[in-house]
Amino acid sequence: MIELSVELPLAGFTLRVEAALGGRLTAVMGPSGSGKTSLLEAVAGLRSRCRGRIVLNGETLLDEARGIRLRPERRRLGYVPQDAGLFPHLTALGNVRFGARGKTAQVDGAIETLEIRPLLDRFPASLSGGERQRVSLARGLAADPRLLLLDEPLAGLDLGLRERILPYLLRIRDEWSVPMLYVTHNVGEALTLADQVLLLREGRVEAIGAPVDLLSSPALVREAASGIENLFTGSLLSHDRDGGVTRVDLGGRVTVATSLAAERPVGSRVTLAIRAEDVLVVTGPVEGLSARNVYEARVDAVERTGDDVTLRFHLAAGGPPWLARLTPAAVRDLRLRPGSAAWLAVKSHSVHFV
Amino acid sequence: MLSADEIGVVLFTLKIACLGTLLILPPGTAVALALARYRGPGKGALETLLSLPLVLPPTAVGILLLEAFSRRAPLGARLASIGLDVVFTWRGVLLATSLMSFPLLVRSARSAFEEVDPRLVGLARTLGCGPIAAFFRVTLPLAWRGVLGGTVLAFARALGEFGATVMVAGNIPGKTQTLALAIFHDNQIGRDDRAVVLAGVTVAVAFAALWTTEWMTRRRSRRAEP
Repeated sequence: MIELSVELPLAGFTLRVEAALGGRLTAVMGPSGSGKTSLLEAVAGLRSRCRGRIVLNGETLLDEARGIRLRPERRRLGYVPQDAGLFPHLTALGNVRFGARGKTAQVDGAIETLEIRPLLDRFPASLSGGERQRVSLARGLAADPRLLLLDEPLAGLDLGLRERILPYLLRIRDEWSVPMLYVTHNVGEALTLADQVLLLREGRVEAIGAPVDLLSSPALVREAASGIENLFTGSLLSHDRDGGVTRVDLGGRVTVATSLAAERPVGSRVTLAIRAEDVLVVTGPVEGLSARNVYEARVDAVERTGDDVTLRFHLAAGGPPWLARLTPAAVRDLRLRPGSAAWLAVKSHSVHFV
Repeated sequence: MLSADEIGVVLFTLKIACLGTLLILPPGTAVALALARYRGPGKGALETLLSLPLVLPPTAVGILLLEAFSRRAPLGARLASIGLDVVFTWRGVLLATSLMSFPLLVRSARSAFEEVDPRLVGLARTLGCGPIAAFFRVTLPLAWRGVLGGTVLAFARALGEFGATVMVAGNIPGKTQTLALAIFHDNQIGRDDRAVVLAGVTVAVAFAALWTTEWMTRRRSRRAEP
């Protein structure tokens, strides 16, 4: 349990966060420059201008009123920055041991969890991005922290690598009982990992809640992610090698065709992402369209989001809501309003595995 | 080859240069670190002040020291009253050479410290290091080449300092005469042959110091970057 009531002046605004965060993993989201990294640094004790109160599992890290300001080295937190932040003059092992104070069991456990034993003799300069990130996670864990602070640990990695590191994060979350604050831009990561999302905007808490609640609301998602994404979980139905598509069952009577992903086993659980601007909206029945995914739907909500309009639909076949992003002109010409009937069309190439 | 007196001069010079370098190493490193990290008013003025000995004529520095430390000045009188005469003693040599070499150490160490990512130091703090432990476990290991380079430069400068030393400590054979002063002295009395021999000694000492540094730096860098 982390109780935050902090104020930190930043370049353009003042970060003000009031929140009580339970749960194993809280995703901290929000647009760039909304104060996410500053919040982590404030919790870590690296921002001397931070005022207010921070209480972690009943222990006070900061309490301006009572004159308590624990130094960073006394807070016992693990901090994993975006670029791994490994000490270049130490081997992977030297890095992992850095904060462990001789707790060998803890060090060994971290090495096993992150599967970095083959890397231990190597210096950071010779490690790949994913390897560095794993060593950095192990270093944070080996220090036996009471809270892990993760600043976009997957941001610099390509999609394939993200998928390989994600299981390690799940393992840390499930096997080490360390609560985590996890800064991310990626809605898929938040849905997969977090049991709570803290949404920041220009230094203020815009919302706190369960990931599915927050991240399916267009008004909040527009700020949380670089692009609005439709995220669906389902099970893999079949591969059609001749047709070049893979079909995924999303529940209800909804199946989605993606471009062929033969390496994924049939029956596996998958998460799919579709950018809201990749969803075509058609007001008449569709025939002769190349898009493989066409669904009958009805508009639930229409909302202006910046220069665009975001619409929320439910499909006649059931399943979770879908988001589409259109220009205001398109919405006007198609006369879309809550209750309007429409068809949604998505090319299989626009459906991505998360 | 070298007479007993000349060997004495060489040893005296080495002693002064070593002692001076050791003496300025802790404060020089601290000042360099402060300059590398501190952002605020007065930084520019402080940096300029510290660099002054590099650009002033050494004799100008020497005359200011002479004024400050002579028995007529309050500071000099206080020191003399506790038996620490500076002017025309080996302490004067130490003071002059240390002051002249201090900025070289600071400049080199400062740019090395500036290269160290402050976030790494912050990370070390979150991993349980106090400020001093973080310095010795992260900052210094990452900046040691620059600190060593600055130390060697300072040492070499101390070996060869002339102008400030001659003003504060004079050129007293067997008492305050360093290699640089002895070379000048030999030349003045027409013994250029002896001056050349002593110049050869300074070349050898300086070469050895620089080459050792070069070798250490290269050896360590091979190990750290496989």
